[in-house]
Amino acid sequence: MSDALRTPFSGRAGAALKDAFLQEALKIATTKFIDLRKESFSGFPQGEALRDRARAIKEATLQHLDVHLERLADHVERLGGTVHWATTAEEARGIVLRLCRDRGVRTAVKSKSMATEEIDLNEALEHAGVTPIETDLGEYIIQLAHEKPSHIIAPAIHKTKGQVAELFSRELRGEFPADPEVLTAVARKALREKFLQADMGITGANFAVADTGTVVLVTNEGNGRMVTSLPRIHVALMGVEKVIPSMSDLVVFLAILARSATGQKLSSYTTLVRGPRRAGELEGPEEFHLVLLDNGRSRQIASTLREALYCLRCGACLNVCPVYRQIGGHAYGYTYPGPIGILLTAMLKGNASVRELAHASSLCGACKDVCPVRIDIPRMLVELRGHLDREKIAPWTERVVFKAFRRLLLSPTAFRLSATVGRWLQRPFVRQGRLRGLPLLFGRWTRTRDLPPVAARTFREQWKDLR
Amino acid sequence: MTGRAEFIERIRREVARTPGLFGASTAPRPAHPATAALTVRRELAERWPEALDRFRVEFERVAGVFHRVPDLDAVPAVIGGLARERGARSLVTWDPAALGFDAASALARDGLEVVAARAGEEDEAARLRHREQAARAQIGVTGADFVLAETGTLILLSGSGRPRSTSLLPDVHVAVFGRDRLLETLEQVGVMLEALHADPDRAMSGAMINFITGPSRTADIELTLTRGVHGPKEVHAVFVEAP
Repeated sequence: MSDALRTPFSGRAGAALKDAFLQEALKIATTKFIDLRKESFSGFPQGEALRDRARAIKEATLQHLDVHLERLADHVERLGGTVHWATTAEEARGIVLRLCRDRGVRTAVKSKSMATEEIDLNEALEHAGVTPIETDLGEYIIQLAHEKPSHIIAPAIHKTKGQVAELFSRELRGEFPADPEVLTAVARKALREKFLQADMGITGANFAVADTGTVVLVTNEGNGRMVTSLPRIHVALMGVEKVIPSMSDLVVFLAILARSATGQKLSSYTTLVRGPRRAGELEGPEEFHLVLLDNGRSRQIASTLREALYCLRCGACLNVCPVYRQIGGHAYGYTYPGPIGILLTAMLKGNASVRELAHASSLCGACKDVCPVRIDIPRMLVELRGHLDREKIAPWTERVVFKAFRRLLLSPTAFRLSATVGRWLQRPFVRQGRLRGLPLLFGRWTRTRDLPPVAARTFREQWKDLR
Repeated sequence: MTGRAEFIERIRREVARTPGLFGASTAPRPAHPATAALTVRRELAERWPEALDRFRVEFERVAGVFHRVPDLDAVPAVIGGLARERGARSLVTWDPAALGFDAASALARDGLEVVAARAGEEDEAARLRHREQAARAQIGVTGADFVLAETGTLILLSGSGRPRSTSLLPDVHVAVFGRDRLLETLEQVGVMLEALHADPDRAMSGAMINFITGPSRTADIELTLTRGVHGPKEVHAVFVEAP
């Protein structure tokens, strides 16, 4: 459990709201991503049909996930790679640590991978005496600062260039100005050495093609190419849901992934890794290991959160979410932030972990609109809230209120009576025709919003006369 | 530790429990990939000029620099010019056989140090030597196996005489290609990749395929776009007119 989780969600969100820099950074970043995405799809009429295709491919793949995984494993092995099966995060960490130990690995260079964040791989490596080095610029900054990423594709959006300059000056011993160009050059130089020296490269996978045993990485910086080309061992860690059947499927996803994430037609680099280096090839790793991670995913195949398994991790739903835009990624407290993050957290950590987060959504549906594979996030959030209630995870006050509300709505007499009582009770709080400044528990609602009062004559009363 | 059988069995059980599935299908795969690839090639044999125009627009949009030369003999002059402008002293290239031409002698006359990869070279000493050379070189010269117009993308297959680092470690990447490499859409790339994997010889050639769309870039510090964070700062595409 991260430190952030020691304070309740409301406290974490409150702190984020008071952080003036974070507020500004979030506004600029999310607005920019929204605009870039919109522009990219507006000039791409076939985009909508491709999104439908992509969704259908994900669904069709899930319907035979076992078959595709076996096919993937067979092909990876045929190409000379090794496949490992990790049911839990702990098993996945164990597999990577054992590889490090058996092969005398001292340093590992990593390209950005949410799956390795999910299993807290870096902490485990450090503990075992292996130095993990994040090489995506944003992740590198976060690692030097001992923080966690705050956005799936822009992990360091919460930091100013001034803060980065200070950090680099301290950690890399130098005097560096607050200029992104200079700071990027500093990181290039520092990391170039690491790429050339490291024993192991660790990556995630954006896709894995079952037909050919190919792991696909999508990056902009080129670090994904470095870590899969220079060290003598390459380990790729991927959630089982990342498998897709064929190359024909792959190009459908490539056409919409970068557009959704950054508004690019394609990211700078799409890297297809087909096992270890081949006979006659001068470069590339001698060993290729693919770690297939379940960690709670298979439990959802036939359950509420099935659709969350379609997720491509593009981050589009974060940018449009009115909650994420206000509080940023850290306040969520887990690896995956934003609307999809709530569902993924429930999937990986269990329903109890999202007791509060399940309500960190206005259910406005903006996430569903921008999702490249049209994941129905709002529907699943509502279902998740239902589960929390039935599993008695939701606070007792919430459960009592909803139970009472249900009674009220089911009985015409009680409903009529409630209108009469409400009209009488609301009197002191109606100002300029709106309900304001309610007492007790309700005050938290009216502190920032108002409500229409119960009408002087309800619809039912008027209906009686009209008939 | 979980074994494969146990792992797959759990997933199979869950898959079998899935309620009320709707009909969904994957992308249609060409029944005869080789034939489909030939069809694409035939179409492009006529349409390549439009594809080239589109490639140029898209490539320049992602900050690529486009060059056009009448024939292969004119390529070294372009590379030599780039080297002079940047004060570059050393170059790495793919094996001349993979590249389709030998730039070394012409460029050496300009006083440049040119190291060409040699097909079949794969021992540890050669590997370390080549890595050192590629890391030091300012310019890397490669071919391109497919050139995708729709997105301005160069697609390179690794293999014997085609090291991965040539297009990655130097500051400047120059890719040389002819009309027969042009494709219009990602869908056509899909057909080519299917055909490649259906052909046992080519499928086992090299272990990496890279799609390169402009120079290496990042926007991780205050969303300021910066080029050349890990990979090349510049990407040049040299189109050779002569078929």
